[in-house]
Formats: sequence, C-alpha cells, structure tokens
Amino acid sequence: MSAPFTDAQLAAFINGNLDDEALIDAIEAAINADPALAERAEAQAGGDALAPLVREAYAPVLDAPVPERLIAAAAQHEAEVVDLAAARAAKAPVLPTPANDTGRGGWRWPQFGAIAASLALGVMIGGPLLNGGSDAPAGESLVLASADLAAMLDSVPSGQKADLASLGEGEVVLTFRDGDGRLCRQFMIESAGNTSDAVACSGGAAGGSGWQIEAYGRRAAPAGEMKLAGGDAAPAVVAAVDAMIDSDPLIGADEVAELGKK
Amino acid sequence: MNRPITPDEMTRQALIALIPRLRRFARVLTGSIADADDVVQAALEKAMVNLHSYQPGTRLDAWVFRIARNHWVDDRRRAHNRMGHDDIGEMIDLAGDDGVAVVEARAEARMVRAAVDSLPPEQRDVVALVMLEELSYREAADMLGLPIGTVMSRLSRAKAALAKRMTETGAVQ
Repeated sequence: MSAPFTDAQLAAFINGNLDDEALIDAIEAAINADPALAERAEAQAGGDALAPLVREAYAPVLDAPVPERLIAAAAQHEAEVVDLAAARAAKAPVLPTPANDTGRGGWRWPQFGAIAASLALGVMIGGPLLNGGSDAPAGESLVLASADLAAMLDSVPSGQKADLASLGEGEVVLTFRDGDGRLCRQFMIESAGNTSDAVACSGGAAGGSGWQIEAYGRRAAPAGEMKLAGGDAAPAVVAAVDAMIDSDPLIGADEVAELGKK
Repeated sequence: MNRPITPDEMTRQALIALIPRLRRFARVLTGSIADADDVVQAALEKAMVNLHSYQPGTRLDAWVFRIARNHWVDDRRRAHNRMGHDDIGEMIDLAGDDGVAVVEARAEARMVRAAVDSLPPEQRDVVALVMLEELSYREAADMLGLPIGTVMSRLSRAKAALAKRMTETGAVQ
C-alpha cells in the first residue's frame, strides 16, 4: 500500500518542499488510508529550519507579562454544585455559609461575592453555561434559584437597579427575543465589589414559566471602575447574546408590554 | 491568599501557568494579541466553569487549548470580517534596547509573523500546534479531529508557503 510513493517524495511532502498540489493531495489521502505510510513519511522529516524562526518570532508573547484580566479569568471558581431538589424543598434561596466560616478555608470577600452570585443563579452541575459551546456538556440547564432575581427579570425594566437583598444589586441591561421567540434578558449583579453578568430566557426547554440561564460570567474589571452598562460585560455573556439576539432590543413601553406577556 | 489546596485549586494554578502558551497559541490563530487575549480570557472562564469536565491525568494543556480554539472558531463565524493586526512589536518595542542586532532581529520576527498571519486558518492551526507547541502529528490530529495525513498536508503547504514568503521578504536567504 505504501509502495506508490518514493522516500524522496515523502521527504519532500513532510518537509514542505512539494509544490505539486495533486501529489500533496494524493499523499494525504494515502496516509489517511494507511497509518504505516504516516510513519514512513515522519521518518523522512529533516531538520526543520523554519520552526526555530517561527518560535523566535512568537517568543515575545511567552515572555510578556500576563495581563491582570487573564489571571482574574482563571480566578473564577468552579460553579458551586447546588442540589436544586433540596433547594426547592427548603423553599428558600440557597446561600453559602458565612465568609468567616473557616470550614470554607477562609474565602475572601471578593470570591465570596462571586460565589454568592453563582449560587443565586442556581448553578447546577454540568449546565450549558457558555453559549452551548462544544465544551459545555449538553442536556441539563440552569434554573434560577433566587426569588429576588426572578422577580427582577419578571418585571423590572432595563436600566433600573433592583435590590437583590443579600445578593447585592441587580440591573437588566438588555431585553430581546431570541430565534425561538423566547424573551431573554441580559443582566448584571454587583456584589461585594464584583460584577457578574448573565443572560436568561423565559420558559425554555423545560417549558416552565421560570428563567433559564443561557450564559454566565464574571467581569474581570476592577471594582469601582466606571462602567458602561453592559458594554464591558463578561465575554461569554456578550458572545451568547450576540449569538441569540433575533430582534431589536426591547425598550420603553414595548419592553414593559413584552414583559407582561413573556 | 489563603486558599485550600484542593485538586481544583491545583488545576487552577496549572491553568494560570499555561496562560503565556495560551496567548501565543491564540495569537497565531487570531492574528492579534488583542483578539488573542479576548480568546484566552473566554477560554479560561469556560475552563473554570467546566473544570468538572476535565479528567485528571489527561493533558490539561490540550484540554484548554481545545476550549480556546473552539471559542475562536465560533467567534470567527460570527465576525468573519475581523482583521488581524500584528501588535507583538508593540509589546516589546516599549522595552527600549535599540542595538542594531536587536532591531534587525525584530524586523525579521515581524516578517516571520506576517508570513504566518498570511496563512489560511487551517494552516495556522497546524503551525501553532506542531511548530510552536511541538505536538506530534498524531496529537495535533487528535486535537483538531482530523486524520493525520490531512494534518501533514496542511503543515506541508504551510511550510512551503512560509519558506516562499520569507524568501521574498528577505527574512531568510
């Protein structure tokens, strides 16, 4: 099976010295059909003069200081697992243990705030948090576990702050309909100096009247910085909204009317 | 910081250590550091939220690189008229140190990056993984979900195009 190609041809192929497009295609197809030929081709690999030049050209990226916002992105803790059934049985929003509980290993307030926000979102294990990306496990969804938050989404117009009690302060920044006609709202929660963003849609696959979280993220921006409402939201949320939005943003009387029918 | 040392915390620290390589990878894919950092930030956020889907003992770098690339592919579909912009020079030109050899080396590096940036996306994928990350053809094929011969032919074409372009611009003789 490997026979039709000479070692010289395979060497030219693996070292990038072939300009015969048809021959490149033929060797590719033959290798895909015959793993032994892949080994033969790899054995012909010569000293690669290009690779060191390319590595050198991109070395400054490896050496550059890492921007703070990227470290902050990795500081976002894994969504806490909430037993929704237990939460519902308790008929109360799930809240984490106090920050001074040493059992949590001494969480500092900023992290505590972010976790409080993710708990407010009733984060279930394995939710398609991020825009249905291929990395998000499918099949489960996120359901709001906070009555305060659900009330804000049900009725508070965009741009108006809402007190979410222990969760902090919330504000809807955008209301729109998605491709399936669902009413969706992008919102943010500020808590202990942290801002989290999310987008939720009403109804959803579960068919209920609740709000289902479609994407969720925490902002990297430092606390206290001037913010444009929604303009610097967590990228995962911005991306999700971009992908979902299928109407002009609903504002003013239209928004109130749409919230009425949901 | 007084965090508990849990398996997740160790993974988180390992992810932070991978950021420079993630940025380099994303820079090759996107064509600019600004876009690369957006991709890396989104990838890290996704990784943190989906930590439970990472299998300990498997390669963390491959896992998060795949997340980053998937994010970029999805993002590119939404914004396909995005233009690359080589801003690596801006990262280092600020640092001073203007010896002749340094200036020449930077000019050469710029030409090499311009050559890589001019490649089609499917060739940049393999340049980033095989040339820069030094993955084997098999590892790159697994990450990209492609047969190995296809990875080889893409790199073959990329090498030929790079050599041609660098010879034209004088980056190599």
